[in-house]
Amino acid sequence: MTRSALRLAAELLGPLALVGLVALVASHLSTSDQTDAINVLVIATIVIGLYVFIGNSGVISFGQISFAAVGAFAAGIYTTPLTTRQTTMPHLFGILARPELTNVESILLAAGIGALFALLVGLALMRLSGLAAGIATFAVLEITYDILANWDKIGPGPTTLASVPVTTGVGQATVGCAVAVVIAFVYQRSRSSRLLRASRADALAARGIGVSIVRHRLGAFVLSGAICGFAGALYVHALGSINVTEVYLTLTFLSLAMLVVGGSQSLWGATLGGVVLGILSSFLTNAVNGTTVFGFSFTLPNGLNTIIFAALFVGALMLFPRGLARNREFLEKWLGERPPRPGAVLGPPGGVGAVASAAAGHAGAPATAAKSHATAAAEPKP
Amino acid sequence: MSESADHGHLLACREVTVAFAGLRALNAVSLTLDRAEIIGLIGPNGAGKTTLVNAMSGFASITHGSVWLDGVEISRLSPERRAHRGLARTFQHGRLFGDLSARENVELGAIAVGCSAREARRRTHALLEEVGLLELAASPASELSHGDQQRVSVARAVVAEPAVLLLDEPAAGLPAEGLGELGSLVEHARSVRGAGVVVIDHNVEFVLGLSDRVVVLDHGEVLTEGTPAHVRGHAGVAAAYFGTVGTDEAATRTVPVP
Repeated sequence: MTRSALRLAAELLGPLALVGLVALVASHLSTSDQTDAINVLVIATIVIGLYVFIGNSGVISFGQISFAAVGAFAAGIYTTPLTTRQTTMPHLFGILARPELTNVESILLAAGIGALFALLVGLALMRLSGLAAGIATFAVLEITYDILANWDKIGPGPTTLASVPVTTGVGQATVGCAVAVVIAFVYQRSRSSRLLRASRADALAARGIGVSIVRHRLGAFVLSGAICGFAGALYVHALGSINVTEVYLTLTFLSLAMLVVGGSQSLWGATLGGVVLGILSSFLTNAVNGTTVFGFSFTLPNGLNTIIFAALFVGALMLFPRGLARNREFLEKWLGERPPRPGAVLGPPGGVGAVASAAAGHAGAPATAAKSHATAAAEPKP
Repeated sequence: MSESADHGHLLACREVTVAFAGLRALNAVSLTLDRAEIIGLIGPNGAGKTTLVNAMSGFASITHGSVWLDGVEISRLSPERRAHRGLARTFQHGRLFGDLSARENVELGAIAVGCSAREARRRTHALLEEVGLLELAASPASELSHGDQQRVSVARAVVAEPAVLLLDEPAAGLPAEGLGELGSLVEHARSVRGAGVVVIDHNVEFVLGLSDRVVVLDHGEVLTEGTPAHVRGHAGVAAAYFGTVGTDEAATRTVPVP
């Protein structure tokens, strides 16, 4: 097996092994602890969804949880038994009142709706970068929340949709997360992703070589929307209920924090961040209700869990600004393409000629440059 | 200038004016480039050389005038559309994708215009070998010396096998021995598809030595154009560089000659 094939295998198998490890541990846990493990896998899937857009494009988005929200509500509503739907959501549009879908059908539908919603949003927003992109995607989150929370023709409004069949167990969450890993891996090896990553490094130079940045960003945004919608469906089927506040600000902050702490520019970083911080988040949430660690029981005051999480997030950012994975793929440090560089001379950026060119003013430019290359003898004297 | 006359040229700028906030960086500049021709674009700092390259490649909006490629007006096309039509350019200071390797940088130059990954790899290998950068191919671009970055940047444009190659200060920071490899990259572009080349550089000797024709810009206008020999002997050129137009000294001064 060649070195590059090994690197490729590690890039995919590292994140998959981590997901498998969570599943293995989960299979030995009590039922209540299994719920936490399922949550970890679902939130890791969301983080991978975020990574597909943010990691590849370098553009921040606060709006991806909107796609998880519409996916969760679509899957939740369409799997709620018809009679319950009529009782709890009597004002639903006809198209939402029936039919009743199976678990798998609803998950696929959620992925499709997430992608479609992302396409509509992306067509308008993909020209934006930096702060403008951040604010605009935040507005999408806000608008989605307000519509879901207030419009009873498309869902339960501010009330909780409580009678969704609980059909996502450890097995489905594991397979779901693994599917997200594989999709993200295939995408990041694609031509579109390579060109998008080039634009992340230098947008101007990328346009200069012919990269249509908006088109490739839109592709990543739609794929990210599909994965987030898919994860939203897993979320609702794992919990059996959903309230719009659960797919809003806190989840946006948590998932972005996981992506950044893990390392936003690698699939390994996204998966690692999702799993490690997912476990931490679950632990802190449980600690509010009282927990036991090594025989020592304690209860955190309500709200302290979020404060501790945020403090750890800040601390991790200061210690690992490029994330736990240092923006590398699994084992990339050892398997990466870094042959010895015999005879390579590492000069400071900008050699003699560059300095000369930079220094050359209106007067003397040709003479200075010519001198620096020792090719011209005759320097005109003013 | 009629449209039919543009059909004879590979690239034509017609009366191109570019103004920023009232300042005219280019004032009615016309320029033509033919197949397999190398044009040197020289002039003092602020003359409008890079602005002209930006206008040709779509990075500067044209206030008046037009740009034509192979008889088709491209004035309103985006930079990426122009790249797909066969117009490649480099930027000052390289502007490589720093976290990608030298090889990936060059490969992307081909992939971005529709090359298959396999063909991009083949072309990249051949180009890097030709300019002696093969052993540095796996290094992150940001870790290369400035001169190597410049050569990788030119290779990233050449690998697309463009019809027109616009080089903005490719020799800046290159040692004398690097200039030969740069010249061979330009020759490669010219031989593969008969590319027309426009080269800007402060190293006037490098530009005069490489070019079939030289256009001198000053204050956003064409001061003169002609063969390298013509430009060397043109008193106004040195005057433009040294800012002494109208004095007796200027009339006797020429551009440095090796």
